[in-house]
Amino acid sequence: MHTHLRKVFVCLLCISLLLTACAAPAAPTAAPAPTQPPAQPTAAPAQPTATPAEPCLIVGALYGGPKNDAGYNQAMAGSMAAMAKNIPCVKLIEAENVPDEAGAKTTMENMIRQGARLIFATAFNHQNPAFELSKTYKDVIFEHAGGWMMSDNFANYFGAPPNSWYAMGVAAGSMTKSNKLGFVAAFPLGWTITFINAFTLGARSVNPQAQTIVAYTFSWGDRTKEADTTNSLINQGVDVITMHVDSPSTVIGTAESRGVYSIGFQDLSAQQFAPQYWITGTGYTLGGKITWLTQSVIDKTWKPIFLRCGVKDGCMAIAPFGPKVPKEVQDKTLQAMKDTDDGKIVVFKGPIKDQSGAVKVAEGETLADDKLGSVNWFVEGVVGSPK
Amino acid sequence: MTLLAILGIISSAIYSGTSLLYATLGEVVGERAGIVNLGLEGVMLVSAAVGVAVTSRTGNPYLGILAALLAGVLMNLLFGYLVITRKANQLASGLATMFLGFGVSALIGKDVVGVRIAALPRLLLPGLEGLPRVYSSLFRFDILVFLAVPVAILVWWLLFRTRWGLGVRAVGENADIAYASGRNPLWLRYQALLVAGLLSGLAAAHLTIAYTMTWTEYMTGGRGFIAVALVIFSKWHPLRAIAGALIFSAAVALQLALQAAGVQVSPFLLDTLPYVLTILALIAWGGTRRHSAPASLGRVYLGTE
Repeated sequence: MHTHLRKVFVCLLCISLLLTACAAPAAPTAAPAPTQPPAQPTAAPAQPTATPAEPCLIVGALYGGPKNDAGYNQAMAGSMAAMAKNIPCVKLIEAENVPDEAGAKTTMENMIRQGARLIFATAFNHQNPAFELSKTYKDVIFEHAGGWMMSDNFANYFGAPPNSWYAMGVAAGSMTKSNKLGFVAAFPLGWTITFINAFTLGARSVNPQAQTIVAYTFSWGDRTKEADTTNSLINQGVDVITMHVDSPSTVIGTAESRGVYSIGFQDLSAQQFAPQYWITGTGYTLGGKITWLTQSVIDKTWKPIFLRCGVKDGCMAIAPFGPKVPKEVQDKTLQAMKDTDDGKIVVFKGPIKDQSGAVKVAEGETLADDKLGSVNWFVEGVVGSPK
Repeated sequence: MTLLAILGIISSAIYSGTSLLYATLGEVVGERAGIVNLGLEGVMLVSAAVGVAVTSRTGNPYLGILAALLAGVLMNLLFGYLVITRKANQLASGLATMFLGFGVSALIGKDVVGVRIAALPRLLLPGLEGLPRVYSSLFRFDILVFLAVPVAILVWWLLFRTRWGLGVRAVGENADIAYASGRNPLWLRYQALLVAGLLSGLAAAHLTIAYTMTWTEYMTGGRGFIAVALVIFSKWHPLRAIAGALIFSAAVALQLALQAAGVQVSPFLLDTLPYVLTILALIAWGGTRRHSAPASLGRVYLGTE
């Protein structure tokens, strides 16, 4: 009896070893995963044979999640890769999966010790530690993605998503049959609320009956919760889904599996998860501006500026339309994108009412750009709680 | 609330409760043999990563499920080696297994983070073909959903209607007496962990290959621990586990439906609803029937002189 069982165990072991061996052949060859703040340099020390010349600048870049998440982190890492390609003499040190403040601080200090003189901190939680370090290391320049703090050697850069969210709303409002649009959001944060508002204003500009239904996952990357939330919204009759979480892959894949339209955000590669029901999407394409910033540091002309740029400047891009989107909807969407970028349409121009019907932005006034990050009310047409 | 909303919550509960049910069943079998596996979260993560990696490489979700099952068994056997053969403390070994699972799964899953995998096909519940699409789309499930309740019944039958199950339960109650009646407690515990590993693998496979269809680090998001709590809720009984898993995931679906209905209650508060329910259930159940927990749960069997 026991020897028989032992045989079964041994068989199981062998099969599973074989299967895992076929499954992950890349694992051993991959670079050590910097899941934790690296005690050792993340990138291998420069080998004299590989880089004969001294690098003109060492650039450190850190990401809150994995570089290949088909979402925000992939978009950020893609911009860095574009910069490294454009300026070959730059040496790029990267660290992924650095979500927390303490880890970010250690990682950045480590990069500085390796000679980094320009640091791109790309996650929300990186701003405070980067700003602290910028006081200590005056000769290092820090750039934060989407932040608001400024000093002599600390500035920030980002795309300008509200305009593109308005255009996405136009697409969604034109495609919906049930007039219910679903928005899967991570947290009720100022920027997320602004995105939802811009999306809803866009949708209602072409379809006054359209409503945006919002549900929160309370995590930037809990895939199970994202699937739960997406299914839940679809079960309430929503027929277009979009999201503001780190990686759109689960939300879009779930919508596709239910035969529901989706609109992507963060990275253009999200489209692969919805070959059928994809409408369109926007993603960050900051490679050009990152190149420009890096070059200005090399040329010693860098100045701290609050940099925001949209589709027109090449900082954001619209993904190709899906196979089910009629030509007129495509035209309307692209026109809305153009009009918002040219200033013909100002997204947050009054009169704008909130959910209760109270006027929040009066006729003739406009919600200022620096207020967009701290909005705590939803426009008329949004179903959900903003706090 | 409309009929559609209620059916929607039921559909969500069935869909997301499936993986919880499998995980709970696995833990029930282990705990019936006297072993608490707090490492369930880690076991599920490794299974999930292996399942996605194999599915992505072969394009075949069924091979992915098979691989996830084997990974679950392997992880549980490793845990078993610690707590059965090496006679280590179960709680400490469980936590160690969990952290090992975090690291190993991150390594295995590194290359499939942003990858789209072939998902399990979905079939409409038979007899519902005539319904309008809004309704029928609520009841299209994959094979693992349809198998969940039969598997729970099978586990019940194994535990309560077979000689093997009697042995497993005897070991969980009192290993010395089980030994005296001619059973080998160590082997029975290994066997129980093997079955538990298979079920944890199924849970992870459903979560990734059928439900989220993607992988990311720490994607189980605490569901392994919820399963451990659900074991207590279901009083170590496989059939009550069905109710436990359904109620918990219905609470998740309900709070999301309330959010989507525009109820002006803080979504932060709504988000805690399932956990509040869990705590209430534990309070209501706690202490009333002492004998429902296996008597030597968590106790290391040191052998009989």
